[in-house]
Amino acid sequence: MAPLEALALEYPLIDSNFRKFCASHAIYTVEDFLIHDLYALAAFAEQDCSPDKLKQGITQVLSILDNQNRPWLNGLELLKDAEQKKYLSTGCERIDVLLQGGLREGHVTELVGPSSSGKTQICLQAASNIAKNYSGMVMYFDSGNSFSPKRMAQFLNQSFNPDNSEVDQILERVMSSILHYSVFDIFALLDLLHQLLHDFKSQMCFQVRMLILDSLSSLIAPVLGGGGAHGHALMVSTGFLLKELAHEHNLSVVVTNHMVAGEAGASKPALGESWKNIPHVRLLLSRYHATDSRSISILKHPYLDTGKTVEFVIM
Amino acid sequence: MEVSSLPISTAQRGKLISSGYTSISSLLSVSPSQLVQDLNISENEALEILRVASWRSGSDKIDRERRLSIVNGAQTAWDMLNEEESSIRITTSCSNLDDILGGGISCKEVTEIGGVPGIGKTQIGIQLAVNVQIPSDCGGVEGKAIYIDTEGSFMVERALQIAEACAEDIQEYNSFQTKDFHACHIKVVVVDSITFHFRQDFEDMALRTRLLGGMALKLMNLAKKFNLAVVLLNQVTTKYSEGSFQLTLALGDSWSHASTNRIILFWNGDERYAYIDKSPYMKSASAPYAVTQKGIRNSTSSKYKRVKLM
Repeated sequence: MAPLEALALEYPLIDSNFRKFCASHAIYTVEDFLIHDLYALAAFAEQDCSPDKLKQGITQVLSILDNQNRPWLNGLELLKDAEQKKYLSTGCERIDVLLQGGLREGHVTELVGPSSSGKTQICLQAASNIAKNYSGMVMYFDSGNSFSPKRMAQFLNQSFNPDNSEVDQILERVMSSILHYSVFDIFALLDLLHQLLHDFKSQMCFQVRMLILDSLSSLIAPVLGGGGAHGHALMVSTGFLLKELAHEHNLSVVVTNHMVAGEAGASKPALGESWKNIPHVRLLLSRYHATDSRSISILKHPYLDTGKTVEFVIM
Repeated sequence: MEVSSLPISTAQRGKLISSGYTSISSLLSVSPSQLVQDLNISENEALEILRVASWRSGSDKIDRERRLSIVNGAQTAWDMLNEEESSIRITTSCSNLDDILGGGISCKEVTEIGGVPGIGKTQIGIQLAVNVQIPSDCGGVEGKAIYIDTEGSFMVERALQIAEACAEDIQEYNSFQTKDFHACHIKVVVVDSITFHFRQDFEDMALRTRLLGGMALKLMNLAKKFNLAVVLLNQVTTKYSEGSFQLTLALGDSWSHASTNRIILFWNGDERYAYIDKSPYMKSASAPYAVTQKGIRNSTSSKYKRVKLM
């Protein structure tokens, strides 16, 4: 734990006089302070020659500690908090119904499926729909050069009323609020996420609704395995950063993952067991043999039944 | 700015003003649900009002600049859309194939082409390496090609044949063609084939997956950074699924995610067909093509039709 002296720089109240007083009660660090009987300490402060200043010092240290800790929340408060989190519609009605409204703010949702099962299509459609219907930005991290603004414009044009004369302006506004970034290695991704976290903390007006990462697995595949735990550590820390972003700043985070061969020829989601418990929601996509119809089912969800499946078509 | 200048219905405007929202800036800090309560309107209406207000306020533009500076190297989808519309694709010399590909092979993307031996993968590779050099006056990309040959299948005689045929075609359309042109940028990298070195001498399959994954990202980076097309040629393998053996492209499931577009070449009777298996913006469709003495051309015997196979 940090010595009290470390706080002196930022908080002038914790001066040498205060530290000397603390030292006389064997308090040298913040930890010592925490385990000391504070009422007794306040009583001793009364007997000092400048009791007010010392008391102010004690309150100051307490308020610093309070700021460092997250406040306690009870179930009712949590419920209220949860009710404020919105479902963001993906633009595909069937999927919205399956998820009781769409992608939830504060959740990390994982889309997993074999190649050409529609993962990127759902990402593109959700990004365009959310940028259109909600204020705030959509950030799109792309590792497979598969971000197609043309396809997004197509999705948007489908949803427009043809009589609307301002189609072009709306298109420009919507497309301008989708931010694309290419990432080609896991370290660049971690850098970006740290930077985002930092920016969100420093300026509150920067509003982002959604963060899409397509695809996470292709960034992690080159570092995972091979005897070392290094790759695992990178994967899990990426996962927690995403969760932190989602939780603290109310983003809806979507990541995509691919399938690998499992036992007996069946395929299973990549990235293994330790990734499994990171996303809040896991959705499995599959495509019926070379047709346009696909199905989506819930593999994991905090409060919906798993195994529910709907079919949908990508237009 | 005044609320009265917003393009919304008079009823909404009246409600806004009577609830105390007179200026646009007063609307910017309000949440949709708050507006629903204050004005007694539906949520959609509230969202629409807020959208119009934020758009009109012009704060979007300033915000945009700031947002862009936050994440270095980020681009908005709108800028990318405009950029994409002006980009030129590399033609395959087969108009049916170009049609389903949206004009040809696109730069900034990794395109994987695979099929059984003898279907014409290398032919397409050589054709692209020639076509990339078509000068910009004739609607080409005017770039150089890098051909990475891992199997020893690049035939310089064949490349000469295709190049001569291509030059003839150009002269036919543009009589005043200057003889020499200077391509400076590399616009296509063809790897023929990506499979060969990964199909042997690998005891540790996990290592192979890691190497393939790393290579895929490097190729993606190359394509994006230098605005060039990466074309990977792949072989086929059989895969046991749902009780039967089926032909799929080699290198396994995780490699199937490594490319932006995937094109599978196959025989349909006597005719060669190309099928778009995966793409972020093209519909899956198939088209016939032929390998002639001049290179890749339209299939002569057929009408352009859609065939479901594979």
